[in-house]
Amino acid sequence: MKKLLIMCGTGIATSTVVKGKVEEWLKENNLSQEVKIYQSKVSDEIGRIDDYDVILSTTLVPNNIKDKVIDGVPLLTGIGIESMYEKVLAEIKR
Amino acid sequence: MKLDKELVVIDLEVDSKEEALEVLGKQLLEIGVVKEGFVESILKREEAFPTGLPTAPFGVAIPHTDGDMVNESKIAFALLKEPVKFYMMGKNDELVAVKMIFMLALKTPEDQLEMLQKLVGMFQNPETVTKLAETKDVDALNKLISDTA
Repeated sequence: MKKLLIMCGTGIATSTVVKGKVEEWLKENNLSQEVKIYQSKVSDEIGRIDDYDVILSTTLVPNNIKDKVIDGVPLLTGIGIESMYEKVLAEIKR
Repeated sequence: MKLDKELVVIDLEVDSKEEALEVLGKQLLEIGVVKEGFVESILKREEAFPTGLPTAPFGVAIPHTDGDMVNESKIAFALLKEPVKFYMMGKNDELVAVKMIFMLALKTPEDQLEMLQKLVGMFQNPETVTKLAETKDVDALNKLISDTA
């Protein structure tokens, strides 16, 4: 089971919307059984970022973890959703 | 699922995002749905975690802060007469001209989720973004939201 973390600044607003969309996408792609979703805020996760296989963030993350994080803002704006999911899929399949 | 009349401002004239955030935050404070310090918290949070979204043809911002500043979950709305600059969500070096602000006072992640999902759906469609920007009053705004599938 892969661990997918969705985080935003507060863990309360945008990450909840993103979570709903990702859950749908997982279902559509028959990946629901392979991926477990976690929702949180950036400040709670910085120290344990390596616990996750895939990380989506709608907010700024510190430079030292930047490379591990996929930008989740496309799910809010509708711009660039496809290439975002390509990255997510690549991480799930890795 | 409606926006409250006293939480909707059409044609707000402001010079900065800070001014707009103060106006909306104070409205939430006035009716008691948020706690003292909410406005400061929103401003601080916006600096650290900006909420501007580069939607087309107008930018939208969804400022919010921690649930412990909130008594009751509500959403306040402002349509700005002239756009103000917000930093883009997830970026600290790109600005977006924001014409509409949805200030989210949320106590828990589940609160107002349906509304939030609906709004995000609207943001992704330039046609509904345009309609939002042409809103004349709270009734028209609520109708637009409820008419959107």
